[in-house]
Amino acid sequence: MSLVTRQLPKLLLQTSQVTASRNIHSSIANSNAAKADSSEREGTRIKCTLIPGDGVGPELVASVASLFKNTGIPVDFENYFFSEVNPTLSTNLEDVASSIERNRVCLKGILASPDFGYLGELQTLNMKLRNALDLYANVVHVKSLPGVKRRHENIDCVIIREQTEGEYSALEHESVKGVVECLKIVTAKKSQRIAKFAFDYAIKNKRKKVTAVHKANIMKLGDGLFLRSCEEMAKLYPTIEFEKMIVDNCTMQMVSNPQQFDVMVTPNLYGNIVDNLASGLVGGAGVVAGASYSANCVVFEPGARHTFSEAVGKNVANPTAMMLCAAKLLNHVNLPQYGQMIRDAVNKVLLDGKVRTKDLGGQASTQEYTFAVIANCKQPQIQQKK
Amino acid sequence: MAARIICRQNKLIKTLICRPQSTMSAFEIQHKTPLIKKTEPIPVALYGGRHAVTMLPGGGIGPELMSYVREVFKYAGAPVDFEVIDIDPSDESIDYALTSIKRNGVAIKGNIETKSENTEIISRNVAIRNELDLYINIVHCKSFPGVHARQSNIDLMIIRQNTEGEYAMLEHESVYGVIESMKVVTESNSERVARYAFEFAKRNGRKKVTTIHKANIMKLSDGLFLDTSKRIALEYPEIEHNDMIIDNCCMQLVSNPHQFDVMMMTNLYGSIVSNVACGLIGGAGLLSGRNYGDHYAIFEPGTRNTGTAIAGKNIANPVAMLSASVDMLEHLGHQQHATLIRRAIEKTICEDRIHTSDLGGTAKSTDVVQKVIDHILESDIRPWYKRY
Repeated sequence: MSLVTRQLPKLLLQTSQVTASRNIHSSIANSNAAKADSSEREGTRIKCTLIPGDGVGPELVASVASLFKNTGIPVDFENYFFSEVNPTLSTNLEDVASSIERNRVCLKGILASPDFGYLGELQTLNMKLRNALDLYANVVHVKSLPGVKRRHENIDCVIIREQTEGEYSALEHESVKGVVECLKIVTAKKSQRIAKFAFDYAIKNKRKKVTAVHKANIMKLGDGLFLRSCEEMAKLYPTIEFEKMIVDNCTMQMVSNPQQFDVMVTPNLYGNIVDNLASGLVGGAGVVAGASYSANCVVFEPGARHTFSEAVGKNVANPTAMMLCAAKLLNHVNLPQYGQMIRDAVNKVLLDGKVRTKDLGGQASTQEYTFAVIANCKQPQIQQKK
Repeated sequence: MAARIICRQNKLIKTLICRPQSTMSAFEIQHKTPLIKKTEPIPVALYGGRHAVTMLPGGGIGPELMSYVREVFKYAGAPVDFEVIDIDPSDESIDYALTSIKRNGVAIKGNIETKSENTEIISRNVAIRNELDLYINIVHCKSFPGVHARQSNIDLMIIRQNTEGEYAMLEHESVYGVIESMKVVTESNSERVARYAFEFAKRNGRKKVTTIHKANIMKLSDGLFLDTSKRIALEYPEIEHNDMIIDNCCMQLVSNPHQFDVMMMTNLYGSIVSNVACGLIGGAGLLSGRNYGDHYAIFEPGTRNTGTAIAGKNIANPVAMLSASVDMLEHLGHQQHATLIRRAIEKTICEDRIHTSDLGGTAKSTDVVQKVIDHILESDIRPWYKRY
């Protein structure tokens, strides 16, 4: 009882804030109604597969869904519950994969991988999904956020990671008792493909430099092949500077002088490590957006893969990463005005610094933060037929 | 015996050529396909359903037409990202443009001016075609019902050898005052063109292929081209084949163009015939051309004029470049976006009759483009991607 009385003022305050914010965004929705009519003809809306994932994923996705709904973004979600830790409720892989193939875009939370498998399978569900769709390139854009104080400023690098082979091939066996072999597979075809992806990404986004991260001094053949493929591809891109760096040196440089990096291209495991390291530099798993590309579809997911399961139901997780993913998604499907709108709104909220979630040193809840972003969204001017 | 072995090999080669090249192994390409140039295919620039395409605006009206293409693509929601490369008259920039096309596989281009008459410098357009081995040029001549022109209901396919013949650029002065210009015709290239023409006719339900030549005068060179096309024609008994001499062909084109269906010819004749045909249906501003090789494709306006005189005046006809971009979308497999834009163009030209001055209208380029965009916004197609 005493607990309730102590919390009462805060509770009241919260509810009043919530209602205030509701009013704000409901008015936005109303002002949109006229405009929405003209754009909501059958067939002009975009469909997107949605996988909330485990841990705080559903909360983050709900926050993005409310952002979309309240700003009138013409995207419809196809929701699939997909989880490895809860296999009985999970949709099967084929359905999810065919939905993503059909829609070509997907927004995805993080899937938890249990330490213990019931079936003795070595592949996690994440890997199965990637292999089913051939999502070979993972792109994580690590960028310092405005107004967020961290040890380093002005970080702006893109980490491109091959994620269908290498150490993640799930080929492990015990040849003799007590001796386990884990195979790391590197193929020329996939190495060339990821190298070309990295350079094309650099060209498209007007980047200057591509750094190949490797460990070819030790794994002379495996990583050597990867490195050679990158070098060959670099010849086709005379305007992009190419350099190579050994992974251990790279991690050191990343924490001491991260501004030197632009686009980085890495094999599977190194990419995973560098992703997380770089994410840590700019504010953690809650603020970094990523995407996985195949030839035909894209899955947008947070850049550092943590489910944050200890925060489930506490309304404290930071939805920034998911919102930035959504912004990237909108850019990809030819709605860059809306993408820019979300990015501007997020930047403004962070720069004001009044509403921040716990991981960035604030006190706001996920919901308050979402409402703040919605309130800061400025509708883009889009040409519509009268 | 030996002859029989050669015959059998020939058959093998033919079956291999008919197979799409992407399904062949590197070994097969290297050793079993004499007609394909031995270049390693580079992975296609297709990421998450979006294509990367090289854009060479070129000179004259090129840059403004390209800006219209980008504008229309924006509203049609075409999943294409352009890599724009401006070519200045230096060798580095042309080299860079070529590597870019090799990387992306597909390009859209305006006409690039080769200002110099200097013998050292070869035409940049020809250089690009030769380097990428784009041996086919296709112009689809189809009348627009709303355009007032000399002839109506024309539907011609002009297929032209694009890399050799008179454009081999082998000229020299053997004795003072005597210049020799070589016209090179090779059997392998003629065969590629003939096969392409017949294969094209078969796949698109066309009835007749006409070979245009001047074999009565150039008995060996044009004779080879004609013989090759006759030989290939035997393999396609369902398609009618005839041949016509170029001078007669030009006359027939202006008097009775409806007798033609698919036309195949060597380089220079192709240039002449496509310009004649363009003139018949309404001028240079309407038609688009396609250049194909084994690995690469370039799309451009059908008649290769820079239009420097009307640059910057907002009166150039944007339809040719827009049609070229539609061809490009079709090539990339974005059929739906292609149809969307093509219908919008047809409505603008044929129903609304928004014509620029070259078609006898008074509209500005931007009026045409704006009308096309309006039609796109009116149609009920969603702005991203749809499988059908």
